[in-house]
Amino acid sequence: MIHFNDVTKIYNSNVKAIENMNFTVEEGELVIMLGPSGCGKTTLLRMVNQLESITKGDIMLNGKSVWHSNKIEMRRNIGYVIQSNGLFPNMNIEDNAMIVPNLLGWDRKKMRDRFNMLMELVGLNPDEYRKRYPHELSGGQQQRVGVARALAADPPVMLMDEPFGALDPIIRTHLQEEFLQIQKELKKTILFVSHDIDEAVKMADKIALLKGGKMMQYAEPARMLNKPANSFVAEFVGQDRVLKSMSLYTVRDLANALTLKPVIESPDSQNINENLSLRVAISKILNQEADQLIVENDNGTRKGSITLDLIEQFLHREIKESV
Amino acid sequence: MDRTNKTIALIIKLIFWALLIAFFVWAFANNMFSKIWEQPDTFLRLLGEHITIVLLSGAAAVLLAVPLGIFVTRPKFRKSEWLIVGIANLGQTIPSLAVLALAMGFLGIGISAAVVALFVYSLLPILQNTIAGLDSVDDNMIDAAKGMGLTNTQILWKIELPNALTSIIAGVRTALVINIGTAALAYLIGAGGLGVWIFTGIRLFDNAFLMSGAVPVTLLAIVIDYLFKWLQFALVPKGLRLARKAQNS
Repeated sequence: MIHFNDVTKIYNSNVKAIENMNFTVEEGELVIMLGPSGCGKTTLLRMVNQLESITKGDIMLNGKSVWHSNKIEMRRNIGYVIQSNGLFPNMNIEDNAMIVPNLLGWDRKKMRDRFNMLMELVGLNPDEYRKRYPHELSGGQQQRVGVARALAADPPVMLMDEPFGALDPIIRTHLQEEFLQIQKELKKTILFVSHDIDEAVKMADKIALLKGGKMMQYAEPARMLNKPANSFVAEFVGQDRVLKSMSLYTVRDLANALTLKPVIESPDSQNINENLSLRVAISKILNQEADQLIVENDNGTRKGSITLDLIEQFLHREIKESV
Repeated sequence: MDRTNKTIALIIKLIFWALLIAFFVWAFANNMFSKIWEQPDTFLRLLGEHITIVLLSGAAAVLLAVPLGIFVTRPKFRKSEWLIVGIANLGQTIPSLAVLALAMGFLGIGISAAVVALFVYSLLPILQNTIAGLDSVDDNMIDAAKGMGLTNTQILWKIELPNALTSIIAGVRTALVINIGTAALAYLIGAGGLGVWIFTGIRLFDNAFLMSGAVPVTLLAIVIDYLFKWLQFALVPKGLRLARKAQNS
């Protein structure tokens, strides 16, 4: 869907911002570009919708070169979300959200329906917010509108530049989870810039880790955590990368891979839903005295129990497998 | 602290209004505005000339300075900013009397010279406020607009100008209010206006002429000032007013 073909960006004829970038974002994938500041991730993102020019190479968008596309037309087919202040204070929420459909000349009825639908999707009451203005909304609400605006004309591709970066941690986590739900439903092709490894691990289908304009590793989160390509990647993802990778697996993954231990009734044993992550499971085990958790599915049927040993065994296996 | 400030402000306001009322009582008691009642036709003619000079020069200045401000803030022509602002500055730094004299030199005696002189004089405040207003528009906002596929013209009309409007109107307001005062000098180059009575009053030591000319000029300035305050309220999008309020609180 988005194919970077030997993309290079050179400033002032000698400063290389991006060097020979080659990778592909498949349709329906959420790829997070990660890296320290100045690594070129935002530049690369902005090259896709031609806010930055390409010095050498090309970016193919759905098989079409962005070089040779009509800039304005192409941008209207790409959702664009930025960190903050992206909403226009002179327009009310409906006009803000519907700016691209408006440019495309949709009729009023269609725009209203779309607005209602999108606001429900991002968890805001359409009638309550329609006539309000950006400054009357909290940061989190503004960013929800920002996401709705990017989705307005139903673009197949979205570019997101640290969309949740300016929010406080609680709201951020909340919006990340909601956005993942939306993405599950809509299956957009998304290129997302972040500097937060936890955000990337949580949300990305693949992570592109950049440094100094070069690609360090392009891989699924689990693979990047379990098998960093070089020492920079290992350092960037953190010493606790094994712990981080646990949030990528659910209890069900473990149950499918290994045989669970039999349930031993004891007064202080706890239950755990199989849809929860191993990270939750391990902290539950570490928190309480009991050394086992009883695994239940959504109907409450017990499938067996897990212990610290079993989780350890599973992780070893996964690390080996992803090599 | 806040309360003492408010009390002081209230006392100063009350003193100001008391002085104003005292002045008008004194003026009416001494028949200072007698010329207005005695020669209503002349008064209306002079007032009309005064307003014509101010509005014509003001309108022309808006028509030139606002597009000029837009022009120099376009990234491509940014380099021309110092030159154009410099020229407008020149118009402002020359004393108003000299500008009038210069205009008379080219256009002769009469209303057109006065209009041109005041036009030159109004360019700078409008130009500067247009530039400041357009510069103050958040770059992130323009970036978002560009990224969503708005053309440069659409960005100008839908985003930049509405967000710069408060500042632009403030510039026009300043220019017009200054102009109303300066237009009293138009008499000196034979362009009429309420300056006729003011200067007659000065020459003849006749306070009735002086007051009948000067007080309406002041009132006109106040009226225009309020009119533009209202215009600002009516034209600036509601969302921006809320934004300003949110920033101040």
